[in-house]
Amino acid sequence: MALADDERWLLSYYRTSEINGSLFFGRLARALKPSPIQHDLTKHFADEAQHAWYWTDCLDRLGTRPIKLSEAYQDQYLEAAGLPANLMEIMAITLVFERRVINQYAKHLSVADVRVEVKETIGRIMEDERWHVQWVRDALTGMEERFGKEHITDTLRRYKEADREVYAHTLAEHEARLGFLLAPSPNEPEDRR
Amino acid sequence: MTAPSQDEIIGRITDVLGVSEGRVRADVPLADLVSDSYRLVEMAIELQDDYDVIFSQADLSAVTTVGDLADLVRSRAGGGG
Repeated sequence: MALADDERWLLSYYRTSEINGSLFFGRLARALKPSPIQHDLTKHFADEAQHAWYWTDCLDRLGTRPIKLSEAYQDQYLEAAGLPANLMEIMAITLVFERRVINQYAKHLSVADVRVEVKETIGRIMEDERWHVQWVRDALTGMEERFGKEHITDTLRRYKEADREVYAHTLAEHEARLGFLLAPSPNEPEDRR
Repeated sequence: MTAPSQDEIIGRITDVLGVSEGRVRADVPLADLVSDSYRLVEMAIELQDDYDVIFSQADLSAVTTVGDLADLVRSRAGGGG
């Protein structure tokens, strides 16, 4: 069965977001002096590039090609929360974003009749995403002395609010395309619908 | 620690942006040199890493020109505004 237009768009959207994340982290990895953060950021950059390839390959295996999209999810963060001004703010926005990615991919897996190619691709990506959350959380902990624990907590709270706003906006803007993600899965318990 | 001079910081900004020296002067708006928001963030991070200083969003909001940015680095590095 051919891939529906809506699903092709969503997989292309995932691909574009992975590319944009990779490009941003790659530029930061190039900009920073050698340090544990530079080390892990470089791995993160490489992972995101690999994820973009996984989605490209997934679309290919599904007999189609990526849609060329100009917008990516993280672009909207800047508008909602302002430009991150320092490395702590970048780590904070990254932590919030990575958690959103994990939730989104988990939601996609819970949809009925997910294609095996999509399931495999999300499974491979999720392995890396768990490490992304872990290293960024550790980096933020390491920044507490310099930036202050309370300030970091406040920053995370600000970005979480922005994330909720951006996600709601994205769902509303692409309601028709993302409707299948909002519909309850037949396997979901009744009280979770 | 001696704070870097404005000329030194402008030289560093020129390197970071990878543009010709003549284009980067204190009175030039950053918007004329930086193509997008991500590039501005990248430059801000690189300068903070180089000079071991921290910027806030309010700091960056007040920056318009290359000179403003150089003065911000100087003030954070202990050289006054």
